Amino acid sequence: MEHPTQLAQDILVPVDGNPSAFDALALACTISRRNKGTVYAVYIIEVARTMALDIELDADARGAETILQQAEQIAGEADCKIEGEILQARDAGHAIVDESIERGVSAIYLGVDYKMPLGEFELGETANYVMDHAPCQVILVREAAGGVAE
Amino acid sequence: MYVIIVGGGKVGYYLAKELLAEPQHEVLIIEQNADKCERIAEELGDIVLRGDGCEAATMEIAGFGRADMVIAVTGDDEDNLVSCQVAKVKFNVPRTVARINNPKNQEIFQRLGIDVTVSATVAILAQIEQELPTHQMIPFLTLGGGLELVAVKVPAEAQVVGSAIKDLLLPHESLIVLLISPDGAPRAPTPETTIAIEDEIVAVTRRENEDALRAVLTSSA
Amino acid sequence: MRVVIMGCGRVGSSLAARLSTEGHDVTVLDVRADAFRRLPSNFNGKKHIGNGIDQDVLARIGVGDADAFIAVTQGDNRNVLATQVAKHIFGVPRTLCRIYDPIREEMYRELGLETISPTVMGANVLHGLLSEAPPAGEEA
Repeated sequence: MEHPTQLAQDILVPVDGNPSAFDALALACTISRRNKGTVYAVYIIEVARTMALDIELDADARGAETILQQAEQIAGEADCKIEGEILQARDAGHAIVDESIERGVSAIYLGVDYKMPLGEFELGETANYVMDHAPCQVILVREAAGGVAE
Repeated sequence: MYVIIVGGGKVGYYLAKELLAEPQHEVLIIEQNADKCERIAEELGDIVLRGDGCEAATMEIAGFGRADMVIAVTGDDEDNLVSCQVAKVKFNVPRTVARINNPKNQEIFQRLGIDVTVSATVAILAQIEQELPTHQMIPFLTLGGGLELVAVKVPAEAQVVGSAIKDLLLPHESLIVLLISPDGAPRAPTPETTIAIEDEIVAVTRRENEDALRAVLTSSA
Repeated sequence: MRVVIMGCGRVGSSLAARLSTEGHDVTVLDVRADAFRRLPSNFNGKKHIGNGIDQDVLARIGVGDADAFIAVTQGDNRNVLATQVAKHIFGVPRTLCRIYDPIREEMYRELGLETISPTVMGANVLHGLLSEAPPAGEEA
């Protein structure tokens, strides 16, 4: 067990409620528990610049709480230590990278959907930014393509 | 304060950096060039929006509606003017500041309601003029409402030498705000402060009263 | 009428040619000398190379004595600045300003500039054509 993927302790997992993010979380829990680390599940509320960054967005916060509860349940089933957090930021990609640096995590596990907005697969802005800028290891968990209609 | 800076060149970058050092400010830079945006984000964080700072749609997204101040510092006067005008008229931004590259544009910017104009060219010219032995009035900064911050050196033969400030007959809405002795020591003026030879007097005055103020402070006995 | 036209593109040059033929005293200003190739060979107005957002240039070509100033460069903001200088600094009685961006055009119209937006006009014309019956001999 000497490869970085096997040694990861603290892992950051952005959760947005999509199944692929929860899937990434389950995987992160398995690895992190084995290495006695902590999984940080973070929900990011993107705040438009028309509003102050610290504005209270009750509806979004309630949605975030629900998703973090689901995350805790997944971690509980895997018997893994988890810390949930809600962040307000202008841009999810920046917030994920900043949080990974602040927490000093070994890896970011990012769930990505299989999306073809213009007939071709696209990774999405957030995943692209994280891949480009995160100092730690990044693991992408892409959902199976089966759900996509031909 | 929410400060929006239009233009992510050197001026915009360093301005943002200084403002960010004070935690009470929220800062956003709007810049069109993707490379410049990337560099700013890498150095200063997620405080940059790529787009045209004169275009209403971009300005809306940037939150001009809640901005306390807009500072337009691109290298093009026309873009700085339009950014500030749209900010004022469409988004009711309380304070607009424009960088002016061509000093000749100062008057039109002020007439069109831009609160403050800043010109490196004018500032440098003023420095050069300051080195000259004339006793010209040097405009430092244009303030809101037609006021200017100016400076003038008191010549040895001036009538005001030895007078107390309270005895000076200054033009309407003119105020002496600072005195600098020839050795460089600043003095806060009180009504009793007397004016000495070669004092540099920093004052606020209306633009139309500049000549009158200079006459009071420099004309011979 | 003494008319100064800033920007010798397609619109600026054809307007200059027309006004000149009608006997007006026309001055055309452009930053590029090769822009004047668009003017007809019999154009008898004045041609100046220079930047219309520089007040010294406007003064030199006599904007202060003009009856009308028309800004039709490619840059909306350049047109806006030059028009406002012509109106407020040089006191030109009639100023016309082209602004492509409809939002900016509307705003400056509300601020008292006489503006046109080719974007809005084009859309209006096309819209009008569509709501009319097609000319005979053509399929709808």
